Amino acid sequence: MSDIDHASARMITDAPYYEPVGKEREVFTAAYRNQLPILLKGPTGCGKTRFVHHMAWQLKRPLVTVACHDDLTAADLVGRFLVKGGETEWVDGPLAQAVRMGAICYLDEVVEARKDTTVVIHPLCDDRRILPIDKLGEVLTVPPEFSLVISYNPGYQSVLKDLKQSTRQRFVALEFNYPEPALEQRIVEAEGGLPAEMAARLVKFGAHTRNLKGAGLEEGASTRLLVNAGKLINGGVAPAVACDTAVAHALTDDPELLQTIHELASAVF
Amino acid sequence: MADAPRQNFFNLIRVQKDLEKIAGEALMRTPRLQEVVAEIAELERDAQDFILHWTEVITLSNHELAAHFLAQAPAAFRALDKAAVEDWVIKAMDAFDNRGLGFAIEVFDRLEPWIEAHTQNLTACALDQVAGFLRHFVRALGGRTLVIASDPQTYTDTEKIFLPAMLNQLGDRDGNARLMKCTAVYLWAQNRYGTWRYRALEEAIRQLDAALSWPVYQRLEAVRLRAAIAHELPGLAREMEAMAYLDDAHRAAWTRFATAANALTAPGASAHDSLALVADFMHTPLPAPLCWQGEMLPQKVREALFRRVPREKEALQQALSELQPEHAQHPEGEEGEQTPGAEAANRFSVSRQGGEGEAQNELRYDGQPVPLTAELQDLLDSIMQDVGELTDDYLTPAGGSGAYPLDGSGGPETYLNDLPSPAGKLYLYPEWDYARQRFRDAFCALTEQDVPEGDAAFVEKTRLKYRGLAKSIQRIFEAILSEAQRQRRQVHGDEIDLDALVEAHVDRLMGREMPDRLYTHFRKSGRSVAVMFMVDMSGSTKGWINDAERESLILLCEALQVLGDSYAIYGFSGRTNKRCEVYRVKTFNEPFSTRVERRISGIAPKAYTRMGVAVRHLGKLLGDVPARTRLLITLSDGKPEDYGSYRGRYGIEDTRHALLEIKRSGIHPFCITIDREAQSYLPHMYGASNFTVVDEVAKLPWKVADIYRRLTT
Repeated sequence: MSDIDHASARMITDAPYYEPVGKEREVFTAAYRNQLPILLKGPTGCGKTRFVHHMAWQLKRPLVTVACHDDLTAADLVGRFLVKGGETEWVDGPLAQAVRMGAICYLDEVVEARKDTTVVIHPLCDDRRILPIDKLGEVLTVPPEFSLVISYNPGYQSVLKDLKQSTRQRFVALEFNYPEPALEQRIVEAEGGLPAEMAARLVKFGAHTRNLKGAGLEEGASTRLLVNAGKLINGGVAPAVACDTAVAHALTDDPELLQTIHELASAVF
Repeated sequence: MADAPRQNFFNLIRVQKDLEKIAGEALMRTPRLQEVVAEIAELERDAQDFILHWTEVITLSNHELAAHFLAQAPAAFRALDKAAVEDWVIKAMDAFDNRGLGFAIEVFDRLEPWIEAHTQNLTACALDQVAGFLRHFVRALGGRTLVIASDPQTYTDTEKIFLPAMLNQLGDRDGNARLMKCTAVYLWAQNRYGTWRYRALEEAIRQLDAALSWPVYQRLEAVRLRAAIAHELPGLAREMEAMAYLDDAHRAAWTRFATAANALTAPGASAHDSLALVADFMHTPLPAPLCWQGEMLPQKVREALFRRVPREKEALQQALSELQPEHAQHPEGEEGEQTPGAEAANRFSVSRQGGEGEAQNELRYDGQPVPLTAELQDLLDSIMQDVGELTDDYLTPAGGSGAYPLDGSGGPETYLNDLPSPAGKLYLYPEWDYARQRFRDAFCALTEQDVPEGDAAFVEKTRLKYRGLAKSIQRIFEAILSEAQRQRRQVHGDEIDLDALVEAHVDRLMGREMPDRLYTHFRKSGRSVAVMFMVDMSGSTKGWINDAERESLILLCEALQVLGDSYAIYGFSGRTNKRCEVYRVKTFNEPFSTRVERRISGIAPKAYTRMGVAVRHLGKLLGDVPARTRLLITLSDGKPEDYGSYRGRYGIEDTRHALLEIKRSGIHPFCITIDREAQSYLPHMYGASNFTVVDEVAKLPWKVADIYRRLTT
């Protein structure tokens, strides 16, 4: 496939649903136009990934997403030689692909990746704007359309999974949090396909679970979980069952807390 | 002979023979022997075997006791299941072992009360069983955090919800548990929907008399609160409705009453509305209280309120005084343009959005919203829950925000000359004075001392108490080791590294030298972690906090042996800057030994919490240890505080500064605390996610190990 084919395959054609919380779209656009990389912080399920999709659509750029994991190496991002019928062939990794096609490259949960990978992104993120590919002896110059976006959740407490200062100080940071109740209700309505009254109840239920953060739960129900529950309800599942399966068990295994969340669900519906 | 009777006869013979074989002497002492044997013969074979087995066992201890057991055993099996009978036998045997024959016989002979208690146990709901759930549930519902406690009277004093230790009103345990929940929710609703708001309470106390009008008010409030719950939590309201009545007549009486008081079900109805209606209902027949209604004890509420209101008011004023300088820096000349009203200039105000019970409180300064910390938000919510709206005096920042006057008079130096120098090597450390924004050089004098060895029995007791937990901690830590990383590109290893192989192949085809690192290898001991435990030995830890700290350390040390991480334990305390002390419990170089255990057991509360200097000293010790990851974990029960001026913001800022210093040298500080108010200062000191608050002291040992695992994997 040529670069153009790659790029068109990664274009987002339909507008992804997104409700702005503040000025994040303006900030993202300004950073993009000024070729500044962007760091998205926030708890899981608050809309970081959706936001990136939305912006890629709005800016009409292809989007390359990499879900980082702890075995992700620099070679996985940049590319490697593969053997095909006795011949060797270079295959670009997602990051090199994104650079070549001038895409938005989104590294999701970047702290999960191995430490050496973050070093690869450094020359991309300052005024050098280059991606050296050592194995090819090639240095890709980054086109102005390319943008790097990374996300991470500062709530994780492992000291081994913190973002180094040398990395984080290269980014424009946008902080995300769960939306205000009225906005969250609109989101659950739109995404879950629920009537307003039901969505309001779900959001209230979500707020109750967030009261438990730090008192047993590491996180309360995210907007994503509420939307999931909304979809189940829309699909004909009883609200209490939907909350149980989509939220309670997703949040915890502790029997006491499970019971609490279960009872909360039956309390608000 | 028909089959059944014949079978019975054979059973009888068999049981008789078996019993004679195993408990000859006991049999002779058994009253009504023939009857008893006949009764046993009628039981299920399983029960017979059980009785024979235990008769044999008890006989080995005492014949007399076996005889008493035999005499009661058939009756026990008729009333109880096997597990319950076994409990009964074990109880008797325990009594025999610990207290002697007389007590054991008493257990066997008093079978009736045992059966009664057991049946009650089957249906009753003990508060202990549901307290954990209720605590979470009430907290999740929102509002001020309420403690669940047990008391013969069922009520709330706005700090706690008091429930009976045991509830057995309904015929099944599940029903009783639900009744307990409904009661807790109703008492929560009193707090949440303004029954105990200061003005309403005072007015009610003034207007109503205990015997005649309080009961009327209590029922009117029930009507209002049920409507509020139904509006907010319809599912819960349905459940409460189903559990509310004794019978149909009770239900009908309540329906009549609620219809008459219909005005109170309107959204936004307040306790004042209920009060206003009391006079109209003085001659209406009152229905009996709802099953989960509890009592109203206004005097208890008043006591709690009088304790809390001034405390929270002061805390709010203090918080505002610290907020004010940050916000006062906006240009003042443009007030008129910025603020909706000129009178709002340079003032805090609180606006409230949403209805009763679900209101969001927002703090504004000169009309501009002020971002609130979680703790300040809670404080504001709690105050609003008490007073409804804030008067100006609440919103007047406290005068003088510093811990002591800026000129330094009355500061820590004042105490410098009062105290004798301590013995041992003296380390001098600077201290950060936030008011002056500079260090006080060589201000703190610190000595290291050994903790005197304590009681070895404590160690044994802890091991015994937590033997299950110790095992599971051990297993979790072992799992950390086994999930060790796969190393790529090794010369030797357990699997072929395909990436490396492909690259080698490429190199070969291109005529370059082939590398020999073609394997992956699982390395099991790749950890390089050094951790310093800094244990609060201030006077406030006296009692169970100190016990919990020591228990946690004993469990953790054992588990850390598994991991092979390098670790040290030091206690800290002090009294003024001249006598700061850290206590060696275990140094990095010392192996874990019984001496270390005894020192852990010897950790005892001393004086105050001068934390900054301890952080600096222990941070320095930790910095000298070669390790990739260095952790300083503080076990503490409260904020830094020392004799003199080392309190409030001064102590917090110094500690924060010390933590920043060690962070710069590559150490990760983390704090485990049991201080419920820690939210107000720990994020500032340690950073948003570098601490954890353990809400129950008893959970500390488990939590410490769990946190350690999370931090280092």
